[in-house]
Amino acid sequence: MTTFKPTPFTIIIDISYTVRPLYILILLLGFLTAVDTLLFVQHNLAGNRLDGHQKIAEIAVAGLGLTDLCISTEARYTRHPSISDPVVPFMDHLGAIEHFPSGSFWVPVTPKTLFTQNN
Amino acid sequence: MPKNYILIELDSVTKIYNQGKANEVTALFQVSLQIEQQTMVCLKGSSGSGKSTLLSIIGCIFPPTKGRAVIAGRPLSRLPDRFLTIHRRECIGFIFQQFNLLPALSVIDNITLPLFPLGVPPGERKKRARRLTEMLSISHRENFPAGQISGGELQRVAIARALINDPPIILADEPTAHLDSRLSLEFLDILEHLRATGKTIVIASHDPLVTEHRSINRIVEVKDGRVHVP
Amino acid sequence: MRQFIEKNFNILDYALTSLWRRKFKNISVMVVFALVIFLLASFQMVTSALTKTAANSLTQAPDITVQKMSAGRQEAIPLAYLEKLKGIFGIRTVVPRIWGYYFDEKNLANYTVLGLETWEMPTGNELNLTLAEGRFPQKNETGLVVLGHAVHQALDLGDRKVLSFFRPDLELQSFKVAGIFSQNLEILTADLIVMNLEDARQIFTIPGDHVTDLCVYVGNPVEINTIGKKIAALLPGTRVLTRPQILKTYQMIFSWRSGFASVCLLSALAAFAILAWGKASGLAPEERREIAILKILGWETADVLVIRFWESFVVSLLAFILGCTLAYIHVVFFEATLFSPVLLGWSIIHPKLQLIPDIKFADLLLIFCYSVLPYMAATVIPAWRCAIVRADSAMHN
Repeated sequence: MTTFKPTPFTIIIDISYTVRPLYILILLLGFLTAVDTLLFVQHNLAGNRLDGHQKIAEIAVAGLGLTDLCISTEARYTRHPSISDPVVPFMDHLGAIEHFPSGSFWVPVTPKTLFTQNN
Repeated sequence: MPKNYILIELDSVTKIYNQGKANEVTALFQVSLQIEQQTMVCLKGSSGSGKSTLLSIIGCIFPPTKGRAVIAGRPLSRLPDRFLTIHRRECIGFIFQQFNLLPALSVIDNITLPLFPLGVPPGERKKRARRLTEMLSISHRENFPAGQISGGELQRVAIARALINDPPIILADEPTAHLDSRLSLEFLDILEHLRATGKTIVIASHDPLVTEHRSINRIVEVKDGRVHVP
Repeated sequence: MRQFIEKNFNILDYALTSLWRRKFKNISVMVVFALVIFLLASFQMVTSALTKTAANSLTQAPDITVQKMSAGRQEAIPLAYLEKLKGIFGIRTVVPRIWGYYFDEKNLANYTVLGLETWEMPTGNELNLTLAEGRFPQKNETGLVVLGHAVHQALDLGDRKVLSFFRPDLELQSFKVAGIFSQNLEILTADLIVMNLEDARQIFTIPGDHVTDLCVYVGNPVEINTIGKKIAALLPGTRVLTRPQILKTYQMIFSWRSGFASVCLLSALAAFAILAWGKASGLAPEERREIAILKILGWETADVLVIRFWESFVVSLLAFILGCTLAYIHVVFFEATLFSPVLLGWSIIHPKLQLIPDIKFADLLLIFCYSVLPYMAATVIPAWRCAIVRADSAMHN
């Protein structure tokens, strides 16, 4: 009779009859759920922290009359899309290229006047 | 059940593949056969004679095109596919040519494959498999991948798998095709032992070692889709 | 019932071991899929965070902003308009403002220069709370500026308190740094240089009776549109922007951008689904043999399909969870580094993005529906064709 030498494969098989693969999947999903729960808690805590900053942000916006987030500062229509001029080609400079990629994402907004706006 | 109880009954069974199409083939024609319980029958015939088709009908893989087939008391003709599968699961154990084990699975997983769809939990599966591996002296190989065991051990694993559901009928299709004479005789001895315990065994083979073995109760010759019952 | 449940657990066990048997292939598929979901989810989280920040912060923007237009372009607005506006009933206060852009040639950075009398603005007397250090210029104090944190960094002032700007007539104008905005407010103030109205007028050489726009505050917020219409009627050459319009603009911009990026990333997902379909449609000989053996051993076609279903579901579910989790970590802890060049462009001034995505169940469900479901359809539907492998084919090997 051949002497039985356990190998990683045989150990896995033995385990799979003691611990079902289904339980391992549940364990893995449980681990991911735990991580996501921690992130959820962090999300709420960070949200609370940002709420504190939110008050200061509101003071800044109200005190300075800000109308746009400072996201893309390379051109006026990317920095202040809500209150800037409509875009015309080469409006900054004859040689000025399009401010890629944020310019392509900032749709040139032409705010309608209240006369032309539908109520 | 009385010993001469007819477990397998075929009455004018015909099997036509691709009926109505250009490549229509009549694999079996008007086959009538009765096999009693606790007998070992050998279906003898060359390749293409219809042995495998006959074995498939006995094995509840598909019903006959015409005629009547009653296996373990249940007529197959009007059984939908699903019930055919259930009946096959309960009544038939298969041993294939080259054994058809899944090499990546362990021995014990291969043996217990028929138990998965029955909802048998892992502990119970292992218990049943262990009984058979001990009986067949392969318990030391339980956790080995099937691709890493010898030919003789593979043969026993195939037998164990066929027995796991305790079916009354065992079907073997050319089981000795890839075995040497020693292993072939060993195999037939095991089958003889199983017959003694009440199993009905049908072997499809043209190997003289099988057809001339002492344990064979009857030889049924299959030729060109017809049987000749002596 | 118990047997039914146990049967499905057994099939799930088999599917999991089947996945593990081809672990390299399946883990690779999962990683690639997770990456696609990561990109989609990251993008959605960033845009939702920015939209939420804009929606929350900009609620305090001026009720109405009035700008003068000429030949379709903005030009300086006369201060005389201020007096006309004060005559409209319902307007609480009007604050003139000069704002523009100063291009720093040395650093190639664009700064926003904001000149206004902060003490006249709502919360003007609380503005010092927004500073990390210093204070705002008071009434009649000139030559003082408050800098955004990023501006202070860009100018590399260190402990120095004096800086100079070139006027359009190339004269140098010096200012003293009175305060620096808090880093926590960078998303609003990163590029700002705030000064008194007169100082801004000097920098841009705007005439004394003109400003760039007027901030109008109304008594009753419900009346904003009505008063806006009155202003538009009274001053026809002006552009009247209400706060609701500004907020809607932001929503539109982010939605458009989010949609644009989603379309690009969805095509990646579609390519992935097509590949998955192609893979699932063909059966390797070993797989065909495996199915035939299972069927002959008593597994039904439905059982074989359930194996494929569980395999796809486990891979896609794990990829979804992994992708979304990594997306959140990427956005919150790494400030969406992968996307910041796309969002911020190549501007020199980069605000620190302290983003907290607005995670809604509906958004997660949406990502789930356009990632997991197509993948499962792409793998399970072709598996149907393969699951009908004949059991007797195992007999013929």
